[in-house]
Amino acid sequence: MATTTAPPTVINAKLNGQDIQTKPGTLLINLTKELGIEVPAFCYYEGFSLQAACRMCLVQVNSSPKLLPGCTTIVTEGMVIETESPLVVEARKSMLEFLLTNHPLDCPVCDKGGECELQDMVFKYGAGESRFVDIKHHEPERPFSPVVYYDPARCILCYRCVRVCDEGYGVNALGVVNRGVLSEIAPNRGDQLNCDECGACIDICPVGALTSNTYRYKTRPWEMKHVGTTCAHCSNGCKTTLGVRNDEIMRANNRDSSGLNEEFLCIKGRFGFDFNHHPDRLQSPMLRIDGDLQPVSWSKALAAVAAKFNEVKAAGGKFGIVASNRTSNEENYYLQKFARTGLGTNNIDHARTGDVVTLVDALSGKQGKLATMADLYQTKAALVIGSDLAQQHPLLAYELRRNWRHHQARIYAMTPGPVREDKYAAATARVAFGEEIAALEGWREQLAKEPELLILFGDSIKGASLRQLVDFGESLGIPVKYVALVDYANSRGAIDMGLVPELHPGFVPSGQPGLTLPEMLDDSQLDVLWVVGANPLANRSQANPKAFVVVQDLFLTATAARADVVFPAASAYEKKGTVTNVTGEVQRLTAAVKTMGTKTDLEIFGLLGKEMGLELGIWSPDAVFNEIRQNVRGYNVTMPILATGGAAPTTPVNGKVNVETRSDLVHSAGDTLFTSGSMTKYSQVLNTVAERPGQLYKPV
Amino acid sequence: MANLTEILSAAKAITKGMGITFGEMLQPALTEAYPDGPPQFQERYRGAHVLKRDENGLEKCVACFLCAAACPSDCIYIEAAENTDQLRISGGERYAQVYNIDYNRCIFCGYCVEACPTDAITHGHDFEIASYDTSTLIYRKEKMLEAPQAGKASLAYDSQASNGTSGH
Ligand code: SF4
Ligand code: SF4
Ligand code: SF4
Ligand code: SF4
Ligand code: SF4
Repeated sequence: MATTTAPPTVINAKLNGQDIQTKPGTLLINLTKELGIEVPAFCYYEGFSLQAACRMCLVQVNSSPKLLPGCTTIVTEGMVIETESPLVVEARKSMLEFLLTNHPLDCPVCDKGGECELQDMVFKYGAGESRFVDIKHHEPERPFSPVVYYDPARCILCYRCVRVCDEGYGVNALGVVNRGVLSEIAPNRGDQLNCDECGACIDICPVGALTSNTYRYKTRPWEMKHVGTTCAHCSNGCKTTLGVRNDEIMRANNRDSSGLNEEFLCIKGRFGFDFNHHPDRLQSPMLRIDGDLQPVSWSKALAAVAAKFNEVKAAGGKFGIVASNRTSNEENYYLQKFARTGLGTNNIDHARTGDVVTLVDALSGKQGKLATMADLYQTKAALVIGSDLAQQHPLLAYELRRNWRHHQARIYAMTPGPVREDKYAAATARVAFGEEIAALEGWREQLAKEPELLILFGDSIKGASLRQLVDFGESLGIPVKYVALVDYANSRGAIDMGLVPELHPGFVPSGQPGLTLPEMLDDSQLDVLWVVGANPLANRSQANPKAFVVVQDLFLTATAARADVVFPAASAYEKKGTVTNVTGEVQRLTAAVKTMGTKTDLEIFGLLGKEMGLELGIWSPDAVFNEIRQNVRGYNVTMPILATGGAAPTTPVNGKVNVETRSDLVHSAGDTLFTSGSMTKYSQVLNTVAERPGQLYKPV
Repeated sequence: MANLTEILSAAKAITKGMGITFGEMLQPALTEAYPDGPPQFQERYRGAHVLKRDENGLEKCVACFLCAAACPSDCIYIEAAENTDQLRISGGERYAQVYNIDYNRCIFCGYCVEACPTDAITHGHDFEIASYDTSTLIYRKEKMLEAPQAGKASLAYDSQASNGTSGH
């Protein structure tokens, strides 16, 4: 009878003469990394499939007469590994010499110069001299898309770009054509990239073969200041590192993998910062004089608004305050305080994009029900309802796909139209908005078999249907977590900070009646409409055309054009503060640049309050955030996480939210990958990409 | 006896010294007549910089920023721009749209010249750059660039100046 031996739990090997132990199944290259021994490689990239294309990681192993690539060799019992033997050193030298046979001497002009992996490797492991004297094969540079340019001569064929596009983003836009020395990277369909235009391929490229049209030939890496902040666009809250020179943002990426998105950014995060330098940015306060908006000084504009506010307040008039989905938590908190204690009104609202209030209420009494970003990568199963994640929540889509690739997570997609998740989902269903709850019953059995479930739902699930969804989830008998999808960078923070008439910060019922956003615009008695970073009059007019309108914005929006006073506001990239993402994690904003003439919304509130003679407290971001930590339930976050640029989870309320929330007002703007609300218009990049949403999802 | 030896050795020393003096009197003078006459330079003298052109009359500088990185007093300021078919300024993909050296700070160490991969920046022999107004000590590219050689197909400098250098 054969005795079955248990698989070994530890592997003994010898590395450079030292005895080491490791887990079974460890890749040789990972082992050396753990031990701090460098084995150079180009094509090996953690998280993506193995390629063994570049042959840089060749090492000597006793079991093989030839050198083996460390990136595909698994350490086995008794293995004797040499990473610095003369043979290995010579092999590296030769590999680099080969890579350089047709490589141009472009370093002085190449965008990658200074942060190029090939430069570094040649410096450290290279031969110093080339023996090739023949003329180098050269192909001209070609644009692949409005943002991606490809220089075949510099390409070392590591396939990182191909893999990040296919495996990472699920787009599969890049491939390899031709053979041998003529091999090069090319779009898979036609000669142009019809893709997400995320630029991930550019950043992952170890050399300067893929370059970005917005950054190329502008500066050099060491000339920039690198400022870590949070993306100003959607609610996913990617951390982005802005490269700044001369008060101008030159590029954005997150190569250090810090933050909850690691290296992920979509087109808006990587290229969509250009709105910040748009020539239409407002740079001076404006006051309506003789029917026209005319530039005036700050003191004059502040005095005019303060006088009007005091007058209306004294006369017991009606204020309506429209807050933003993008301003920082500090600004939101200060604004609602301004409204409630300074102006004595509860008429404050913003364009609600997800029904977080009902979700929190429906989950009262239960612990750990709101998912964090990390849960998306770890959950065993996820259910997406009524949202095209790849379009509207690119990071969430990326995390789910990564989870499926690495952990075989089972994804269920219930959407009105085809979505990218279809390709790998365990089940998909085409269900019209509003019919999801009924359709879910069909999946009950299947879902109940999952060990756990994470439910992400869009704006079609709100109010009563959201309560039904929670009932459904809780009746499955498995641990279920939820994410209420919201639209913009601080949509979640707007609700948490009480920018709705029914709630004070921290989901505390306000107990006072107040006007909602449509009610304000429909109120013919409204005296003052104060709009902060929003555009409510984009497609409609207000019932009282005589109302005094004050607008704080970056641009002269339709609402600002109608205003009596306009204050030029600083953008998210120009201020300090915090924002809360869709999964309730707080992250830091850092001021990277400054636009002349603007002030942050927080400063505008502070100065206005002072001008009116109100006592609203210090308006520095730090002081206000301290106040938030003390007063807002769930926001007593760990400061070191924030200070180091991390994402600090908020622990939301756990109890009944005793209010009638206006779920019917919840409405997502339905932004796509290439739009960002009213900011779209001011981003040249977003306007130049050729794709139309929907085209991306045609089956290949 | 001792006195005689001393006298003889003194006379010998004087003869030797005067020999050198008279010998030198017959050599051409090394003393510079500056500022009454033009100064003489060693070839390697490090004076105000000159930005060179290549054999086609294009600017050699490709705006790689290496000189600025090497500069210990941080006095080189560059703004890069991309060459196009319509407007080709340098031989590479990129050229220096703005290239300033702040002579208030330059210590004429020559590190920039050493760093330049294209031999674009060199030390000229001009050293008379003192000024009563420090703002005139920031030299722009226009001032440092070598004049185009006659007969070379170089671009008229005006076409680039009108391209708009930003006012930093
Ligand atoms: S890819 Fe790297 S090695 Fe090649 S030219 Fe660019 S900087 Fe130099
Ligand atoms: S930009 Fe993004 S989507 Fe487009 S090819 Fe590059 S990696 Fe793929
Ligand atoms: S373009 Fe860059 S990432 Fe893609 S194969 Fe070539 S070197 Fe690698
Ligand atoms: S997914 Fe959202 S937060 Fe992330 S880069 Fe794109 S727009 Fe910005
Ligand atoms: S002068 Fe030379 S070192 Fe300086 S930017 Fe131009 S090419 Fe580079």
